[in-house]
Amino acid sequence: MAMQDDNLWYKDAVIYQLHVRTFCDSDGNGIGDFRGLTNKLDYLQELGINAIWLLPFYPSPLRDDGYDISDYTSVNPTYGTIDDFKTFLAAAHSRRIRVITELVLNHTSDQHPWFQEARSSQDNPRRDWYVWSDTDTRYQGVRIIFLDTEMSNWSWDPISKSYYWHRFFSHQPDLNFDNPAVREAMWDVMKFWCDIGVDGFRLDAVPYLVEREGTSCENLPETHAVIRDLRMKLDQAYPGKMLLAEANQWPADVRAYFGEADEFHMAFHFPLMPRMFMAVKLEDRKPIIEILEQTPQIPDSCQWCIFLRNHDELTLEMVTDIERDYMYDAFANDKAMRINLGIRRRLAPMMENDRRRIELLNGLLLSMPGTPIIYYGDEIGMGDNVYLGDRNGVRTPMQWNGGWNAGFSSSDPERLYSPLISNPVYGYQSINVDSQRRSEHSLLSWTKSVIQTRNSFRVFSRGSIEFLSPSNHRVLAYVRQLGEEKVLVVNNLSSSAQAVELNLQSYKGHIPIEMFGRNLFPRIGDLPYLLTLAPYQFFWFRLRRI
Amino acid sequence: MKDTIVQGLQQAYLNLFHMIAEFLPRLVVMLVIILSGLLVAYALKYMVRAVLRLTKLDRLSEEAGASRVLRMAALPSMTEVLSRSVFWITLLGFILIGISILNIAGLQEQISRLLRLLPEIVVAMLILFLGLVIANFLSRAALLAAVNAGYASPKMLSWSIRFGILILAIAMALDELGVARQTVIAAFSIVFGAFMLGLAIAFGLGGQGLARSFLERSLGEKKEDKADELQPL
Amino acid sequence: MAEDILLGDDFLRQLMSVGEVDLLVAIPTYNNAGTVAQTIQAIENSYQQNFVRDRVVILNVDGGSTDHTTDTILSMNGKKSAAHRGITSLRTVHRVTTQYGRSPSQGMALRTILAAADLLRARSCAIVSPATTNLDPSWIANLLRPAYRQDFAFVAPLYSRTKFQGLLARNLLYPMSRAVFGLRIREMYSDEWGFSGRLATQCLNQNLWGEEAVRNRPEAWMAVTAICSGMKCCQSFLGPKAPPPPGSGPDIVETIRQTVGNLFWCFETFQEHWMDRTGTEAVPTFGSDHELLPEDAPASQEKSFELFRTGVKELDTILSSILRPDTLAQIRSIAGAEAGKFRFEPELWVRMMYEFAASYHRSVIARDHILQALVPLYRGHLYSFLLEHRGSSVEEMEADSEALCVEFERQKPYLIERWKAKS
Repeated sequence: MAMQDDNLWYKDAVIYQLHVRTFCDSDGNGIGDFRGLTNKLDYLQELGINAIWLLPFYPSPLRDDGYDISDYTSVNPTYGTIDDFKTFLAAAHSRRIRVITELVLNHTSDQHPWFQEARSSQDNPRRDWYVWSDTDTRYQGVRIIFLDTEMSNWSWDPISKSYYWHRFFSHQPDLNFDNPAVREAMWDVMKFWCDIGVDGFRLDAVPYLVEREGTSCENLPETHAVIRDLRMKLDQAYPGKMLLAEANQWPADVRAYFGEADEFHMAFHFPLMPRMFMAVKLEDRKPIIEILEQTPQIPDSCQWCIFLRNHDELTLEMVTDIERDYMYDAFANDKAMRINLGIRRRLAPMMENDRRRIELLNGLLLSMPGTPIIYYGDEIGMGDNVYLGDRNGVRTPMQWNGGWNAGFSSSDPERLYSPLISNPVYGYQSINVDSQRRSEHSLLSWTKSVIQTRNSFRVFSRGSIEFLSPSNHRVLAYVRQLGEEKVLVVNNLSSSAQAVELNLQSYKGHIPIEMFGRNLFPRIGDLPYLLTLAPYQFFWFRLRRI
Repeated sequence: MKDTIVQGLQQAYLNLFHMIAEFLPRLVVMLVIILSGLLVAYALKYMVRAVLRLTKLDRLSEEAGASRVLRMAALPSMTEVLSRSVFWITLLGFILIGISILNIAGLQEQISRLLRLLPEIVVAMLILFLGLVIANFLSRAALLAAVNAGYASPKMLSWSIRFGILILAIAMALDELGVARQTVIAAFSIVFGAFMLGLAIAFGLGGQGLARSFLERSLGEKKEDKADELQPL
Repeated sequence: MAEDILLGDDFLRQLMSVGEVDLLVAIPTYNNAGTVAQTIQAIENSYQQNFVRDRVVILNVDGGSTDHTTDTILSMNGKKSAAHRGITSLRTVHRVTTQYGRSPSQGMALRTILAAADLLRARSCAIVSPATTNLDPSWIANLLRPAYRQDFAFVAPLYSRTKFQGLLARNLLYPMSRAVFGLRIREMYSDEWGFSGRLATQCLNQNLWGEEAVRNRPEAWMAVTAICSGMKCCQSFLGPKAPPPPGSGPDIVETIRQTVGNLFWCFETFQEHWMDRTGTEAVPTFGSDHELLPEDAPASQEKSFELFRTGVKELDTILSSILRPDTLAQIRSIAGAEAGKFRFEPELWVRMMYEFAASYHRSVIARDHILQALVPLYRGHLYSFLLEHRGSSVEEMEADSEALCVEFERQKPYLIERWKAKS
């Protein structure tokens, strides 16, 4: 398919999330860069993904892993130059891989020239680009997001002798979106990257753009107005570009960010993610069913983004206390594994390296409605290091082979931006791309084939979903449908073999064809359809009427 | 004349002697038969008892509830009852055979009649026995129920039931034996009918005494009773 | 075999869907459409509050209700309005219903429940009655926890009762069962109790379902089975025992037939286990201990005394085949007393009860008749008790109760002697 043809490409995407720093180092300084990343695009193409989401790579003091930006229209020299980026982009596009970058709208680093100017004096033209106050009592009662480190949303600036507003770290002052100049400036940033050829933006921390007295300062109508404005301009100037919202809210509250198909194209479905883990641990489909029942319909051109893990902690903000306690006890018994309100572990260690469970969760990810995101390294089952600070335990270097620095970098191991995972179970000597490439039955090979199967059928990316309710609560079953194409997905969430009788009366006469082996199963008749499943097994059946 | 008398007496004594002489062997045979019958009966009794003990008949009869019935009728265990019955029937048979050897005219006929009647006698005895047992059981059940329900004259109810069932059983037994069939049927009808009539009159005359309290208790007062009763558990 | 009817296909299918559970709460019903919804709600609340992470199931066994009790239960399965945020419970709570027969039978109901508990490998089970109107979620937790967390086999309930409530239990069933079996379980005859999966399997395999005692009062049989198998028993405090609605439930005659009959049958069936036991032990108690609450003295029970006197007179023949001559003579003598001065001495009461038990064992007359013959004598004892304790304080009554228990224990050798006697 031609790159610019399909304005709804994001619906069919399988996104691969990575930080350029972690992927591949080409110049031996121990830090990944764009040239290294470019060299690995073949691998990504082979994997079958068709979009890359890059974490922030802009100049930054790196006090928040790059989300504190000090220059929006440049590349952090550690990772390369703007030309390196352009080369990477072109190479990705030539392999039919789109690129999504980060756009941190809400705040900048306090090292950004804009803030430096704004704080220099009360009369500076950029003064009004940020939110200032003489007292720290405005916007009382607004919640603090980084509870572990911040005591207030206001910080005192000794230079301009007043308080400035920041919803995140104190070194990340919030931009003032009531100021048209700010909005114009952010649009210019967007234009800059669109002109280079970037395909979409993940907008970080969107709920917090605008503040108003007497409110929670989240999800305000004015914020939506800003988004709508940006979207309108984007559609006019750059049709086919995509906006992805990062709004960690209940589904009903995220709905507003789709607007009437005039705001975001996509948004993360945060609450679903912990419940997928919970369902497998509880061996009960209830958590998944309930959250999806509470998920509202979205406009046709919009899409949810679903994921298992990402660069952050597995957030437990959007769960009840009971669920949170359960998740902590189940997956993060060691307090070192917990941070803020979440769990900082990778997929494979959370699944205790159980291949079947890893496959089951990936199967769910790739068959449920929404655009799936695969976090780098999870396709080979990389491990984590919970003893590194912050969330760095899930951001260790990509493991390419069992040799020097896992093939990530030629530098001295001590120079690497982060230590490698090196224990006998998850270490790079046993978990790496090269050794898994050698086997048809490795996790990598399996992931490839599943992605390929998913990509062959549009029903997964664009079809509707109808949940079946077999009385066996350990089985999650649903039918995806797009036009005449129907796929029955049956998942055994439990650690023991299960029998399940499915009510498939509306599909009577169809022949289920198992999609991986392409074998025929008995035709659906009047009686409930009996299936037996091994522990953690799942089936994808095409339902064909011949 | 004296001679005739003496001769006559002599003849009579001689006849008697002859009769005795003729009778004695038969008597001896009878006694021998009875004695051997006794031995055979004992032998059979012990054999039957041993066999029944082997087959654990007592356990079976306990489970069937028959032992309880026997106990209530103050009878020993089933094995014992059967083995003793075998003893007596065998002995009786031998006695009858022995008596028949005596060849006493008329007695023979009576004996064979008796023998023919034997099964019917057994059945009649069974009917009476059952009737007794049932009468006992039901009358006692009625007595207990009446006492516990606070009826005014529980014994009367109990006796009525016992009486009624016994009358029925006797009538059935006599009928089985074929003794004065018509008379028995008529008498039974009269007695039973009179009894029922008496009850009907009692009820019919506005529910006097027993009838009234019976009605009241079963239809109305019971709820009041229950409210008075404390919660036992 | 009866097993075929026990687990119909539909029931089995429901059990398959449930899979293994940690906890099972069962509700036997018969025409309880009015109260069953409340009971189920209490169970669900209990699961939510106390066992949110555990695998649970609610099982209803119905004896052929004609008032659509099962329909009421099934209609509760409808989706609740989604909570504003998040979920109502972590796990699916299954509700399984089945009809075990065309007419109600406690024994058949229990048998079905035990079969389900066995197949679902439930670790701890509880049975609750839909007629208990003051059922609280904490009650259910208190019945489930001991077997679930601490390996107890049988969990008897414990209630706070008013002074004149449960006198049959207090004056007869408790002291007698305590003396004979050696464990101080107050409420062996109740509408709710708990048990472990292990005890369920053991009782299920005993195959005593034809026995009337098991059909009518299976909870006591389960308790005695546990005691005689050396399993751990305990009591768990629930709350106040609510009186049943007036006019419901069996009358005193039927109650005595069922409970005392069951008790005597247990003596018979488990005789090898209790003859050598001496003394009694307390069982662990969870929550508060039982308590007696003040209550106004009930209305005069002169009628009971009349029935006692009539019974002694009219049942003389029957009583003479049950009781020894001297005991019967003493009873005749006290029956002649004036109503206001009547006193049924504990010593006589206990001796009489043990003679009843022995006579029952020997089936001197039909066993059911023996039990019925006990009723007027119980009435006499009840009257004497009320007369004596009309103005007693709670402490005095408790002391008296304990003294009665001690008397039963003291005379246990007499029971053994009568039990073994030929006549």
